[in-house]
Amino acid sequence: MPNVSKQRGNRDSDSDGDVVLRADGVEKTYSSPLPWEPDVEVLTGASLELRAGEVVGIVGENGSGKSTLMESLVGALDPDAGTVERPGDVGWCPQDDRLYDRLTVDETFRLFGQAHDMAPDEIEAAADRLTERLDFARFRDRRVDRLSGGNRRKLTLAVSLMHDPEVLLLDEPYTGFDWETYLAFWDLAADLAERGTAVAVISHLVSERDRFDRILELRDGRLEATDDA
Amino acid sequence: MPEFRTGASAHAKSVARQPTTLALLAVLPPFVVAVYGAAMTAFPDTVFLRGSAATYGRVGGALFATAFLSGLVGLFGTVSAARADRYLSFSGFSSVVLFGTRVLVSVGVAGVAAAVSLLAVVAAGTEVASLPAAYAVLVLAGVLYGLLGVVVGALLPRELEGSLVLVFLADVDSFLSGDVIPVNTDLVELLPLHAPHALFAAAVRDGSLAGGPVGRALAYLAVLFVAAGVAYAAATGGWSA
Repeated sequence: MPNVSKQRGNRDSDSDGDVVLRADGVEKTYSSPLPWEPDVEVLTGASLELRAGEVVGIVGENGSGKSTLMESLVGALDPDAGTVERPGDVGWCPQDDRLYDRLTVDETFRLFGQAHDMAPDEIEAAADRLTERLDFARFRDRRVDRLSGGNRRKLTLAVSLMHDPEVLLLDEPYTGFDWETYLAFWDLAADLAERGTAVAVISHLVSERDRFDRILELRDGRLEATDDA
Repeated sequence: MPEFRTGASAHAKSVARQPTTLALLAVLPPFVVAVYGAAMTAFPDTVFLRGSAATYGRVGGALFATAFLSGLVGLFGTVSAARADRYLSFSGFSSVVLFGTRVLVSVGVAGVAAAVSLLAVVAAGTEVASLPAAYAVLVLAGVLYGLLGVVVGALLPRELEGSLVLVFLADVDSFLSGDVIPVNTDLVELLPLHAPHALFAAAVRDGSLAGGPVGRALAYLAVLFVAAGVAYAAATGGWSA
């Protein structure tokens, strides 16, 4: 990965000015309204700083709370305690595709582009660029419910970054990707990081550990640095 | 305004591209109007001092078909798209606008269901004294149930179970809200179709819409609008301007 050595070099000179997302002591417990259902404590004080231009991996066992952490980081879920500061734009690719089944790929770009307050020509340019880059340009007229799982995933990833956010939080973004698209995804992540975007990726794959500048493991509700990257 | 247009267009396309919904809109109203009308002819017309038994049945059938179909679209829209709406709101789309577009589309669906239902009533041989008044009341009944569908979808976010609730409620509602069978409980007056039933029957019979039921129906509409807004916010993660 082209960005790894560069970003490791950058990290030595980290300053608060580089921080594009900061979470401190995030706690989250799921409580059921049913009195006989036990509470599930998921996050117990997770803290994290993401800096411009770094690619960070977040790993953890199944059920360790990675997706809950990500939803708390992006603001889709209110933590019970702790703070999350997001000074800039955030892009979020959730674990499950949250798209409108009966809209086409292009209509989905237009809807989410409107949400991101983009002009029509900017939306068109982003759709052109991302569908080419992730190799699903030939499906732009196809409805979402008629796309394969991998292409739906590409579309979710594409709408999460079409507005060039400063922070990109990706929850297992490449599930269902073929090998070529998987490689294209990592090239794209590297390019984004070189342009200064902070990228955090929830990952399960041991084989991709050398693609990250840092790897954090979520264990017992807290994030800990590992020595793998 | 562009945001509203984009959202309304997206939701309308989502409804229009659902073949089952389109088939139900075309087939259910004529079928229900015909069957309800035929079923009521088992009763002597003398029971229905202000109209025929068949007309009474068709009135109930039109109300049921319009209400149920509109409610179904409101329910499915909430259940199937709640997560997508939530993601779109997170991406920066105003959830207030999003809710507004859903209400607008539900009015459109109610308009179509009401038109097909009213056409079925006329085609079945019932003379309608005022078509515009009858149509307006049917649209109102559809919008009431469209909003009710949003509420049911938020409280019971499963399509099968929600559909069962709606079909049971709309069926009982369209039957009991009429005044032929005296039901000894004020609870009947709380049914969503109570006022629209009286208004629709009057519009069919003599073309008038005046009286207390208009105010009650509009009050019901206001209450359900607020309830649907609260339910929608709960289902999609709150309001954003």
